[in-house]
Amino acid sequence: MQCDEITSELLNFILEEDNAETFDSLAKKVFAYQFGNNLSYAKFARSRGKTPRTVKTWTDIPAVPINAFKTLDLTCCAPADAAAIFMTSGTTQGGIRGKNYHSTLRVYDASMRQNFAARVMQGKKRIDMGILFPTPEVMPNSSLAHYLNLAVSDFGSPGSGHLITDGSINFDRLISELRQAEATGTPYALLGASFSLVHVLDEFKRQGLTVKLPEESLIFDTGGFKGQSRELDLDEFYDALSSTFGMPRSRCINMYGMTELGTQFYDNGNEACPSVKSGPGWIRTQVVNPLSGMSVPKGEKGILAHTDLANFNSAVTILTEDVGIETDDGFLLLGRAEGTQAQGCSLAVDEFLKAAGSA
Amino acid sequence: MSDRSEKAGYLAGLDADAIEWISQTYRANGHSLTVQLPHLNSEQIADLASHVARQSKKQLKSLPLDQIVDAIDRTIARLLDRNDPNRRKMEELLPVVTGYAPEMVALGLTGYLKTFRKPQLKRFLAEDFANPSILDGFQPLIKGGFGRAFGPDLSAHIWAGNVPGLPLWSLISSLLVKSGTIGKVSTAEPLFAGWFAQLLAEVEPALTDCLAVIWWQGGDIERETALVKQADLVLGYGNNESLQSIRQRIPVSKRFLAYGHKVSFSMVGTQALSANKARSTARLAAYDIVRYDQQGCYSPQMMFVEQGGSVSPERFAQYLAHDLSVFEAKYPRRALDIEEAGRLANWRSNEELTPSGKIFGEAAGLWTVSFQQADQGFLPSSLNRTIRVIGVNSLQDVPNIVAPFKSLLQTVGIAASPERLFDLAGPLGAAGVTRICGLGDMSSPEAGWHHDGRFNLLDLVTITEIDARAESAADRLASYVD
Repeated sequence: MQCDEITSELLNFILEEDNAETFDSLAKKVFAYQFGNNLSYAKFARSRGKTPRTVKTWTDIPAVPINAFKTLDLTCCAPADAAAIFMTSGTTQGGIRGKNYHSTLRVYDASMRQNFAARVMQGKKRIDMGILFPTPEVMPNSSLAHYLNLAVSDFGSPGSGHLITDGSINFDRLISELRQAEATGTPYALLGASFSLVHVLDEFKRQGLTVKLPEESLIFDTGGFKGQSRELDLDEFYDALSSTFGMPRSRCINMYGMTELGTQFYDNGNEACPSVKSGPGWIRTQVVNPLSGMSVPKGEKGILAHTDLANFNSAVTILTEDVGIETDDGFLLLGRAEGTQAQGCSLAVDEFLKAAGSA
Repeated sequence: MSDRSEKAGYLAGLDADAIEWISQTYRANGHSLTVQLPHLNSEQIADLASHVARQSKKQLKSLPLDQIVDAIDRTIARLLDRNDPNRRKMEELLPVVTGYAPEMVALGLTGYLKTFRKPQLKRFLAEDFANPSILDGFQPLIKGGFGRAFGPDLSAHIWAGNVPGLPLWSLISSLLVKSGTIGKVSTAEPLFAGWFAQLLAEVEPALTDCLAVIWWQGGDIERETALVKQADLVLGYGNNESLQSIRQRIPVSKRFLAYGHKVSFSMVGTQALSANKARSTARLAAYDIVRYDQQGCYSPQMMFVEQGGSVSPERFAQYLAHDLSVFEAKYPRRALDIEEAGRLANWRSNEELTPSGKIFGEAAGLWTVSFQQADQGFLPSSLNRTIRVIGVNSLQDVPNIVAPFKSLLQTVGIAASPERLFDLAGPLGAAGVTRICGLGDMSSPEAGWHHDGRFNLLDLVTITEIDARAESAADRLASYVD
């Protein structure tokens, strides 16, 4: 199967123009496509005893650990031919960055638009939007920069734009846009990295500022704090957003996305934390025991493994490092599987890397 | 034994009803145990500290060393007796608290407790003091004059980790130098130290008010400060972050002995890789890995195997994997929570994805040997029976590989000929290694070993010396002077 063929089948599925295919049959097709067009991927799958002959259903597809995006070239097109290469921030493992190659962005973009329209816009065509994140020109390898740029260009009203210029938040513009929304009653959407929103909260607190945004406005955060701002408890964070912007917590939406995926998950607001996250019909999640790869019983903690058809050029099923619990309509995201205390007096890897780095 | 309950700690005569008890439930191997943890408030900690300091001044300081050694020996004898109710309780409850296999706990306890019997304690003392009577009274010094060693009035021990019995090293050291002692146990294993203290007081009533064992949630700065403020000497165990936080709160005039987490490794030379020795070598190596699932600072996390023996490093890695599977049947690994399992899976996939890396493991991750052909990097394992085996051209290359991590190193287990053992010892010591032993002995340091290269007892005391000239100066003032 060629790239063009699989791309158009996936676009049909995502845009719901052809319901002949099921998620399961497409997932197996994507697996076979990756198996046939990427030697590293095929080698990995074989090491797990999986080939297109033995994969009977989408849950049989071996989950590629996200580490593999750092060490292997997981791409069905030649790396040089990729339309985009999105990279992780490289904060762990000696700065080595994971790479997700996209042979075309048509599938990624379609996935983003369909899902964003349904979960964030909720029927609205456009909204006044402010983006607390750098532009793709500044961060060409950031999937989030690309994502937020799509959001503002496809869903932002004229005049919407980025509020980060030269690496810092343009508070004058942000405050004037918020004040204008408050005065005119026009809904406003503030979107950005969670840590940038913490910086905004801190600055507003310093200046003693609050606003009351009109109904149907929304605050959108993603990515966590990542050591780039102070670390907040989620309840504390959403309480602060709610009181600073005069919005109920149910209008504070969190997006869970990864460089290693082509599709995002959203919650329906953060009235209660942790919130239930869910995705569209072309991504499915299993909660697994990371060592055996088997699903854990529903309601028990496990590691999230996502099967994302939009990841057709790299790895259709990935094993994350995120801990979660399956629920009726999605999963609870409980954070990353790291930082738990060492049990004994033996040095743990994380501590070793920290100590060795500072030695 | 489902749903048992047990009180942790030892309160040195403080009214148990006056303090708060926190319940913590532990589950493992199909059993559950609720432990009541003694949670004193800051004032109670301060009161307890001055009580213990006062009582130990009165009781402990005047006790002859032999009597203290005798009391410890009799206590240990009770705990070595597998029919003693205290010992039975340990064997029953420690596996539930820590999750380790009951057989491993039983075996570990005996091997460990044996190092605190009277002959071993005497060796322990002799290691640090040419004449241990220096703890009882003034003794002649080699340079001239006289000296006497004084332990602190009160030492505070902040313990960590889940290896059963680990607090005993510092607790016994502290008693031997006649210091009033208050220890703070970890949530991961809160029972052993309290049991020992209680039994010791039963065996030697003079010690009843000279030691105490309490608990608070790690990182509770208020309580930690309350204890540290009263102590003359503080011993801290744990990761660098928590040690740093303790250090910040200790006045410069007081001493702080920090025992940070360490990393250990083993080395196998060609002599141990002959066709008839390789299998027994692998078995010993596997034993070091299995003991308490590598949670001790002396447990190997990496293995350097020399090329050129009749068994290749890769083949040796397979032998090792085989022995780990045999041990798993007898001493099953502790069950991991999902976060630990996630980190182990992460480590395993990293090792597997390293170019020319190979994994020999059990599918559910009960043990994993990673063999690395090309990547010679020194990197700790994920513990819980995981190890990285690296082939090296010569064991002589190893000191250079590990030298950048000098401050983190501790034990090396070596399988090599006697000449090579001593040839390697110098460069390894210079690289930061503080203990070298044979394979199979890594997790059972001998009595009197120098923990992290330091003096267990000497580091605790101050010496008061009578200047050699003081005697002749005093002579002039004697009543019998001519």
